[in-house]
Amino acid sequence: MNSDKFRGFRFAPADLAEDVELELDRRKDVLFAAAHADGWTHWEALGLPWNASVEAARAAYLEKVKVFHPDRYAGRRLGSYRERLERVFRRITEARDVLADEDRRAAYARETAPPEARAQLEARRLEDERRAAERRARLVRQNPIVGRASRVGELVARGKEALAEGRLAQAAADLQLALGLDPRHLDAVRLAPEARRRAAAQRGGRLVDEGAAAEASGRPGAALAAYREALEIDPGNVRAAAGGARAALAAGDVAAARALADAAVRAAPRAAIAHEALGMVLDAQGERKEARRALERALELEPGRASARARLKSLRWSFLG
Amino acid sequence: MSDLDPVVGVDLGTTNSVVATVQDGIPRVIPGRTGQPLTPSVVAIAKNGKRLVGALAKRQAITNPDGTVFAAKRLIGRRWGSQEVEDARKVLPYALVAGPEGNDVRVELGGRAVSIPEISALVLAELKGDAEAFLGRPVRRAVVTVPAYFNDGQRQATKDAGRIAGLEVLRIVNEPTAAALAYGFGKHVQSKVVVFDLGGGTFDVSVLDIGRSVYDVVAVGGDTYLGGEDFDRRVMDWLTFGFAKEHGGVDLRQDKMALQRVRDAAERAKCELSSTQTAAIHLPFLLGGGEGKGALHLDRQLSREGLEELTKDLVDRCIAVTDRTLKDAGVRPAQVGEVILVGGMTRMPRVQRAVREFFGREPCKGVHPDEVVALGAAIQAHALAAPAKGDDVLLLDVTPQNLGLLVVGGYFQTVIPRNTTVPTAQTHLFTTVRDDQTSVRIAVLQGESERAIENELLGEFVLDGIPPARRGEISIEVTFEISADGIVGVSAKDVATGQRQSITVTATSGLTEEELRRILDEQLDEQLQRKQTTREIEERRQWISRMVNEVEALVPAARDAIERTRFGGDALRKAEAVLARARAAMQARDGDALAAEVEPLERTLALFQGLAAGGRTPGGR
Repeated sequence: MNSDKFRGFRFAPADLAEDVELELDRRKDVLFAAAHADGWTHWEALGLPWNASVEAARAAYLEKVKVFHPDRYAGRRLGSYRERLERVFRRITEARDVLADEDRRAAYARETAPPEARAQLEARRLEDERRAAERRARLVRQNPIVGRASRVGELVARGKEALAEGRLAQAAADLQLALGLDPRHLDAVRLAPEARRRAAAQRGGRLVDEGAAAEASGRPGAALAAYREALEIDPGNVRAAAGGARAALAAGDVAAARALADAAVRAAPRAAIAHEALGMVLDAQGERKEARRALERALELEPGRASARARLKSLRWSFLG
Repeated sequence: MSDLDPVVGVDLGTTNSVVATVQDGIPRVIPGRTGQPLTPSVVAIAKNGKRLVGALAKRQAITNPDGTVFAAKRLIGRRWGSQEVEDARKVLPYALVAGPEGNDVRVELGGRAVSIPEISALVLAELKGDAEAFLGRPVRRAVVTVPAYFNDGQRQATKDAGRIAGLEVLRIVNEPTAAALAYGFGKHVQSKVVVFDLGGGTFDVSVLDIGRSVYDVVAVGGDTYLGGEDFDRRVMDWLTFGFAKEHGGVDLRQDKMALQRVRDAAERAKCELSSTQTAAIHLPFLLGGGEGKGALHLDRQLSREGLEELTKDLVDRCIAVTDRTLKDAGVRPAQVGEVILVGGMTRMPRVQRAVREFFGREPCKGVHPDEVVALGAAIQAHALAAPAKGDDVLLLDVTPQNLGLLVVGGYFQTVIPRNTTVPTAQTHLFTTVRDDQTSVRIAVLQGESERAIENELLGEFVLDGIPPARRGEISIEVTFEISADGIVGVSAKDVATGQRQSITVTATSGLTEEELRRILDEQLDEQLQRKQTTREIEERRQWISRMVNEVEALVPAARDAIERTRFGGDALRKAEAVLARARAAMQARDGDALAAEVEPLERTLALFQGLAAGGRTPGGR
């Protein structure tokens, strides 16, 4: 067996005779590996056939490491074998780093493919390319102008139906797609913007509800994210902006809260909810006078707003104290 | 083999340290001589000049704030003037000064500037003593753990501490790796394991791939300035600010002793809140009220929610680091087979919840968060001291930070990227940037930033004697090596001339080789002295032991005599007290206490002998 393993390798007698605490077989393992380490491919370093799997590489590495890791011989006299062990360990680790990583292994396998495998790989690649070209050609054949017109008609009809049934997202998607295929289709031109607008409003409303729910359950981060998304759909959504300001404040980001509160007031200068949010943020920023003014304005717009009244009251009290 | 020369594993923690060993194939924690498994990592010079370590040092911290050093691990291997040290100076009650070279940190203690490795060495020596008392044999070799995220300087300094304590440090092992080792001990583990280690001062997270007794670390991440002490500080700040508000701006931080009491109370409240919903903090007479006013008391309640609110961002930081480390490892949370919680801070319910939410699984409950690291260190120590042929464990650890050097323009060129398996070596070719450049300065750095200045400078050296040539024509080969300890060595070679320069990077460890040798010499003297006293104590102990036995033998006879004579009723009680004190002194091997008991024992013996002889002669004797 051993003579097989080291076939053709001549061990230097001086190396074998060195006074170290290693069994003879181990010495041979180390000498053989150290002599070949630099010339090995990564496959050879781990004793694997070309194109072995990631799992095989990992398993082979674990076995090799038990032989070549210097810690296996800690405390023993190793002489010149220590340096050899370290060199072999580094080499097999290098091989593992490549072969145990799916992408790097695949790239390396292509690079090191033996001639016949390379030819096979090349043939497969060409075959794949040919098939892809054929597929593209088929798609073009199946998609002439004629086909397109009927497809647009179908899409518009489906879009109208969805619109009537209140499935707004579906309607917007169908009509938009129809418009893309035929920018002059009359119904598509007329209905697509409407569907889009209504879908956005619906989605915005859902997001605001979601945000409110998150806020109520003490997850200001999630609430802020929902409100922000709603604002992205509709920058003029005052409930989203005011809610966002509250959530940002709860999450401790006063600057963002301020920006959102300002946006809310800009979007709807006559909404009490916007002024109330601004008041809260100003209070957090320490601008008590301004905060009071904003809350008073909120009450002016909506005298029955209890939350604003309570905030204003606490603000007045602490101001006196 | 191992029976002849025991080895130990030491978890040298920020707040507490633990020592363990492998006995009869089982890893076990060695209790301290006080009976506790945890030894506080506290060192003090008492008012009477006596050196105290561990629980004794911690106990007197309140009355001796500037003579008590705790959390030294946060300073070990740090550069004077670094952000971390500046931050520490603001909050630590003891004084920090610059070392003689101006680049490391020393502690002003007992009128001397003591290096941080010397402080840590005192803790190590204490643990070594505990181990020797437990094993009944000298202990010379140890594996010491450090946070995975420690850089080269911090590792070197820890190794120096071991040397000063008289220990050969077989290996510096990363704490989370050690924890995984203890977790996998005696089990057949074949999966990806994440260790989440939130200790007193540092946070570490490691991803390991365990299979066939090989513990392969895939990635590590962490923050060497995030731990239980930060949680304590949040509570302290809350207390001091609240106190200031209540008492018209009184600043508790001006009074070291008060501050120390607040620190203790904050830590206690934090720990309490892991099992209760509210904690009362009650510190009467915290401050004298001044002229004609009464003393000020602190009396507050902290709820669990309150604590979680105060420390929310700290927990978030832990999760952010965990997320990044898993990405580095290329592992999704769902692929993780087990999550191991290590470090006292992971007892906090909020931390456990954050981990549970992130991984979507219950963390492992099978390990003791305070002891698991020391046990793992002991297992590795055992494997290194007596490597068997069979199924011994094998650790494959990685380097935590990019290692590289300063290149033109102030940039950092990585040579060995983080998460590379160690031991490792890399060679890179560099060239000159000016015509006729005859020397090259090589600055070795470790860190994550692209800009050299933001990384930790490990050391620098100069390669000179380069023959004059046009710029770019000279090739310089720089080899970087990282040992299994994570310790860095660098050498540079001019390819044309073969001129070679090398360094072992020691700049930030704080102690020069010379200094280290001087400290070791002093230690040797002290050791000789100690040996002498140890012998004296042993002799005295035997003497006391004989007397105790004699007195005990006389007790029945003496009791008879006393019962019959009606006088000296408390003589027996007094004698029992003397015996108890003598036994305690023997147990503690305390020389002074033993000496104090000699005279009372002699008196008792004389009295009992008199009583026994005066009484009835016992039949048959």
